[in-house]
Order: sequence, then structure tokens, then C-alpha cells
Amino acid sequence: MSLDLLRVAAVIYAASAAGFLAYFARPKHTAAARVGAWLLTAAWALHVVSIGMACKEFGGLEWFSLRGGFVLMAWLVATAYLVVQRFYHLPTVGAFVTPLTLLILLPTLFGVGGAPGVAPATLRHPTLTLHIMTAATGVAIFALAFGVALMYLLQEREVKGKHFGALFSRLPPLQSLDGLTQRLVTIGFVVFTVALLTGAVVAHTVWRSAWSWDPQQVTSLVVWLLYGAMVQARHSGWHGRRYAQLTMVGFALVMVSMVALRAVPGITLHQGTYAPPIPVEVMP
Amino acid sequence: MSRRSLYLVGLSHKSAPIDVRERVALSAEALKSALVDLKRMEGVEEALVVSTCNRVEVFVQAEADQPARLFFTSRAQQAAEHLYVKAGEEAVRHLFRVASSLDSMVVGEQQILGQVKEAYGLASAVDAAGGYMSRLCNRAFVTAKRVRTETEIGRGATSMSQVAVDLVAKIFGDLSDRTVLLVGAGKMGALSAKALRVLGNVSVVVTNRSPERGQALAAQVEGTFQPWAELEALLAKADVVIVSTGAPTFVVTAEMMKRVMKARRHRSICLIDLAVPRNVDPACADLGDVYAYDVDDMQKVVSANHEARRSEAVRAEAIIEAEIMAFVQERETREALPVLAELRQRASAIARAEAARTLQRAGAGLDERGRKSVEAMAQAIVNKLLHGPTMRLKDAAASGDSSLPGAAAALFGLEEKDPSPPSHDQ
Repeated sequence: MSLDLLRVAAVIYAASAAGFLAYFARPKHTAAARVGAWLLTAAWALHVVSIGMACKEFGGLEWFSLRGGFVLMAWLVATAYLVVQRFYHLPTVGAFVTPLTLLILLPTLFGVGGAPGVAPATLRHPTLTLHIMTAATGVAIFALAFGVALMYLLQEREVKGKHFGALFSRLPPLQSLDGLTQRLVTIGFVVFTVALLTGAVVAHTVWRSAWSWDPQQVTSLVVWLLYGAMVQARHSGWHGRRYAQLTMVGFALVMVSMVALRAVPGITLHQGTYAPPIPVEVMP
Repeated sequence: MSRRSLYLVGLSHKSAPIDVRERVALSAEALKSALVDLKRMEGVEEALVVSTCNRVEVFVQAEADQPARLFFTSRAQQAAEHLYVKAGEEAVRHLFRVASSLDSMVVGEQQILGQVKEAYGLASAVDAAGGYMSRLCNRAFVTAKRVRTETEIGRGATSMSQVAVDLVAKIFGDLSDRTVLLVGAGKMGALSAKALRVLGNVSVVVTNRSPERGQALAAQVEGTFQPWAELEALLAKADVVIVSTGAPTFVVTAEMMKRVMKARRHRSICLIDLAVPRNVDPACADLGDVYAYDVDDMQKVVSANHEARRSEAVRAEAIIEAEIMAFVQERETREALPVLAELRQRASAIARAEAARTLQRAGAGLDERGRKSVEAMAQAIVNKLLHGPTMRLKDAAASGDSSLPGAAAALFGLEEKDPSPPSHDQ
């Protein structure tokens, strides 16, 4: 049931993305952006209902799996954009973020939903919930920063290369994109720091060691150091193209640690599965 | 009805030099009395005068163009040789093209529609414009709006200073609390600095080799003057730099910019070089966070936008042609209406008369309902009979065929003002 709802939400996300993209292609039609924003809000609301229902169906343990993590993250990216929208009037950002949301959500629509078996008693720990929530939120914010940084790089190429074409006129000013990237990186870094600390606490209780050179721990630390350095560098006036490039690199690293490492069995303890998943009925 | 038509007599930036144009241009007050005078002239039904700094055009709904010509020749004798005269559909087309900004010096500029609206408002305020001008002008406004929304004729900057504004807007967003530095006292630089004020509350700093001219320019652009020796320090503080000196060499060199960027901790800077020969070393553009543009870059944008507007103008002309057709059709339909109205009026008179006669003879045995149905029957027969001719007359009028209304008038005997019913009623 929650999966069906999620699929409906995905369709609305797609319609919302279409609205934002239509606005991007024809900036005259501001109504398209407005419709896109409304649809995004609707999809977001449906998405959270679906998450709630999944919690009821599978006891909330779904978020321990990779699939559940993606469902949660897609929702958080949408949330982050809706929040950003309140403070920055940049509807063209929607054209980059809504497809990204859909992209994150896409693999989860065809997967087998459900609980990843029963977690060991040692994992039933409120700190672990906090760890997963903050990690997902942090990554969602980095995802948004990735989209905005991409826009910055595209616009920078236009402005610097003197191509004053369609992209030039549609993309927001460099300064706005740069400022937004910086803010997102800073907020994401703070949230991610909490995720790392809680992760260490959980690791200490479960693995009996806060640090065990688990590959995901290592990549996460690298990401944390990278973003931390960027937050620091900002104070010394560092900005622009390289800042945007590093923002994108950071997110790529996050993706590697989240997806690639888990795809290889046994390489990391962050497998997200503790037992074979309980099969639930799958829509044809 | 006498044959009145729309005449246009005018002169514009295309036909007359400025000294002639300014001689016939009028203030709003003078325009009002001129409109009243025009309206009073023999054979003039309605009048409209569009007077801007680029054109003075007199539209009259009249029997001849003479009154409109007189408007010009009485004001300036030499205007006669610069006048263009258009009549009928040509005059309609001209008004539509003017309102849609196809005839403007900068094709697609926004102001002209407002000026035409103002001209119409003035003409109708003094009763010089009546029903015809109202329909004509409204159609012109609709056309202009369609051209603006359906084509991209108004898109893109068409002057250097506008290009500069667009560029700076894409780098900095708004310019509040930022500094614009004017290097050199060139006229284009001052224009651009003024234009940049639309982007927010900027502070303008001027520097120039000769302090006198620099100070004068600073006063003109409401900025502050700083001595030339400070140039490098000023560059380190400014966000947008507009360079237009008469110097034959680079005033801002790449070496200097390297030091400046270090001093300003690589905050973004936009260098706009309006000087020919160039005053900013093109190598500056290769430095990070430096956005440098020269006259050629800006001119390329201006020409590309002019080119784009010209190609959009072709689409605009198609819209205008469609609207002219619609306007002419609407008018012809309106002209066919008197025949229709007359025909219907006569027919219902006959129906009423016949019903009355029948009721007089045989209506004694009928109650009120019976009488009503006899009257209704007579009316229904007339309506049924006239339905086909009515539709065909309307179609003919709409397709511009004026022969059918005339034939109908002749066939039904509507021309003679004889009120007696047609012959079948003996």
C-alpha cells in the first residue's frame, strides 16, 4: 500500500519536474513554475503519508535498508528545496532539483519494499535512529547543494565564456547561486557532523569500537573533512568555480559510500540488511 | 453615405530630420487645441494625432487628406517634402505597426504603445475621436499586445549600457551596497554607470587623469572623485569597473589585476572596457573571478539582439496582417447590418400587420391565448423565411463581399424610403 502511494507520489513528482522544466524552457510561462511548485508540495505531502504508512506496515525498520534510505532522502531533498524556496525566489532551481528527487526515488519504486528482517536487539537504540535521520538529512542537503553548484558551473561558463544565450538568460546570477551553495554546504556540514558523532556512539555500543576502519566510516570522514575545509575556506573569501566543483565532488563521494560500497557484499558493516528481507507483495 | 476613409499624414525619424520633427511636435495642451481645430475642419469626422520625439502622425477619418496635410504645412513650410500619406487599409496597417513598435528606431521598444494610448486618450477627451477611432485604436492595442506576447520582439538588450546592466545582473544579482568604479570620463561610461543604478543602490566612484573633468563627471553621476594615482587601490575595492579613457594603451594590465585580485581576496570583479583602443588587457579575462568584456563583446550582443528582433518582426507582421483582416471584416459586417436590420424591421412590421388583419376578421371567437398564437405564427413564418438570407448576408459581409447586401437591398426594395408594404399585401 505504501509502495503504491509512493508510486503515485513519483508520478506527481514527474509532473512537477515537467512544470519546472517547461518554465526553464519558456520563462515567459511563469504559471508553469507555479504549477510545478504546487505539484511538488502535493507529491511531498503524499510522500510523507507513504513514509508514515510504511512505518506502520514494517515497523519503521525500513529506513535501515538502502532502499528505505533512498525513499527518505528523496523526501528530504524535496523538503530542503521547499524550505529554500521560501527564502530564495529562484524557480529555475526547481528545474534541477525536481528531476534529481525523481532520480533518487526511481530505484525504490521497483524494489521490494518492506522490513529488512529483524534488527539485532543491540541496534534498537534511539541513537541509531538519530544517526540515520541526520545522515539522510545531511546527504539530502548535499544533494541540493550539488544541483545548485551544477547550475553555478553552467552559468559561470556562460558568463566567463561570453555566450549570452538561452542558459545565460535563464540561470540565476552567479552571486545568488554561489551564496546558496555556500549556505547549503554549511548547514549540511552541521547536520552531517551530528550524524558522524551519533554514528560513533552507535559503533561504540554495537561494534565495541567507535572507529573500526569500516570503508563507509572512512569515506564519510573524508566527506566530512572536505566539507569542513570548505566551510572554513569560505571565511577566507574562497568561492566560485572551485567551490562549486568541490561541492559536487563531495556529493559524488557520498553517493559512492552509500551505493557502491553497499553493492559489494562484505566490504562494509553498513549493509543495511541483517536478515533476508521479508517478502511483501509486489505490484506487477 | 459619403465615402469617408481613414487618412494618415505624418513624418517620422525615417522621413524627416530632427529639426523638422521638433518644429511640428506638440505639447499635450497644444495638441488638444490642434485636435479640436482638426475636428472642426470641413469633411473631418474624427481625428487622432500621435506626437512623440520620433514621429508626428495625423490620422483623420475624412473625405480627403487635405486637412491632415494642413496640420503640418501650417506649422512648418518645409515639412511638406518630408510627409508620407497613406489611406484606407495602408493607414490602418501603419497605425498597427507603429503601436506594435515595428516602425520604431529600436524595433520592439516598449514606450510607443503607451504613447499611442495617450494620444488616443487625448483625442477622445476632446471628442476628436469617436466610434471609428475607438474601434481602430482598440484593435491596434490588441495587435500590439499580441505582438508583444506571441513574439520575442522585445527581448534582449539593444544598447551597450543595457548589455552592461544585463551582464552585471547575471554576475552580482543586485548591486545594493556595491561599488561601481568609473575609470576615465568617457560619455559611454557615464551612461552605463547611470544605467546600473536600476540594479540597486550603488555608490559610484570616479577617477580620471585630469581631476577637473573627473570631478565634473562625478557630480554628473552623483559619485565621488578619487585621484588617478589611487587606481590600484580603487580597483581592489570596486565590484564593477567601467573603463573608458582616451589612452592609447592598456590602463589596466594583467599584472596589475593579479595584484588587485590578491588584495581583494579574489572577490569577483567585472571589468567593462568601453574604450577603443582597448584600455583593459584582454589577458585579464583569463584570471579567475575576473569577468572582463570589451566593446566588441558587447557590440556582438547588441547586433545579435537586433538580428533576433528583426527575425521576430517577420512574425509580428503576420499577426498584424491577421488583425487588419479581422478589423476590416468587422467593419464590413457592421456595414451590412443596416440592410439586415432594415429587412428584419420591415418583415416584422408585415407580420404584425397581417396578424392584426386576420384577428380583426376572424379573431372574434378566439380567446387571449388564441390571439397570441396567431401573432406568434405570423412572426415565426417571417423568422423562418429570413433565417437563410440573414445567415448568407452575414457570411458575405464577413468575407468582404459587399455586393450581396446591395443586391438584397435592391431585391427587397429597401433603398426607396417608401413606408408602404411590398406588393403582395394588396
